[in-house]
Amino acid sequence: MTFEPEIETAQADEFIEQLRHVTNVLPERINVDAQTVEQGLAKLVLTLIELIRRLLEKQAVRRMEGGGLTPEQVEQLGLALMKLEAKMQDLKAQFGLADEELNIDLGPIGRLI
Amino acid sequence: MNLYAYGLSDEITAAALAFEEGAGIEGAKPFLIECGGIRAIVSEFGGERVEVTRANLRAHNRVNGLVLAETTPLPFRFGTVATAAGLVQYVEANREMLLATLERMRGCVEMSVKIMWDVEAMRRASEITDETLPPTAAVEGAVGPGAAYLAAKRREMAASEALKSKAEEIVAWLARGVGDAACETRTEVEPERELVVRVAHLVERVRLDVYRERLQAAREERAGELRFLTSGAWPPYSFSNIASQKPKFA
Repeated sequence: MTFEPEIETAQADEFIEQLRHVTNVLPERINVDAQTVEQGLAKLVLTLIELIRRLLEKQAVRRMEGGGLTPEQVEQLGLALMKLEAKMQDLKAQFGLADEELNIDLGPIGRLI
Repeated sequence: MNLYAYGLSDEITAAALAFEEGAGIEGAKPFLIECGGIRAIVSEFGGERVEVTRANLRAHNRVNGLVLAETTPLPFRFGTVATAAGLVQYVEANREMLLATLERMRGCVEMSVKIMWDVEAMRRASEITDETLPPTAAVEGAVGPGAAYLAAKRREMAASEALKSKAEEIVAWLARGVGDAACETRTEVEPERELVVRVAHLVERVRLDVYRERLQAAREERAGELRFLTSGAWPPYSFSNIASQKPKFA
């Protein structure tokens, strides 16, 4: 019996493309060289803010569905979250970060977001 | 001199291995060091950190693959560098866990299944409108941009949940198809991506033919809808604790 791994697919190019993407977002260390430390820290901090922002959105939608908010409160909450999302877009652009970069791989328990 | 560590085994012997010169990282010849009944497969390494290159990744996998031809190793994560004393100390400190994991992996190999779907078609099929969601008084009574934003988020979340359910259905379908041919499974699901499911199966060597037959039947069943990449046999990277976390050496 041979244990030379066999690879079978009819769509090799498509999988290579997708796997390249997965490899690009593998967990990284924060690079602490002087030139990139700022971006590394920004990525970490923005990832955590993004997580909290999404949790707030989910909570707001749940409260809205639960009927616990008046239309005025829904409007105020929606406006606040809308501004928060716009601010996040600004910060991501400022540090040159794409949406898919704002994540942390937690190993066996998966990705943070 | 540092050592590059490929994996651990309690069965492999120097006599059973025929590592060629140049088989290891940076052309070094792998050898075994004894850590009280558990042997570490290593090669000499001059530096502190291994570069992630195609050649080095291949060397790491080639050495573990050679061991796999004889027995199932616990592969270290790529890039594990230690001193001989550090390795021995690590094994001594984690002996029970390592022996239990070696026992669990004994006679098994890892098989991999990756599945792609047409995520855009799936999104269209999962499209949600306010009419398909249960009515809420707050949405119906509010008309400003803030309420519209939250209503849009509500639709997005419902669509995302629908996509997730479809992806989870694929995972459940694959598990039914493979059945007891796999003794353990590790699954990663990313419904928002084209590469939607990545599964690692731990399969007993004696059941590899059964596993392959079942997997082939499953692939054929949904060939028009899903795209598959299957590979293996691999050392049990996804099931070995020492592969998923970088051990701390003294």
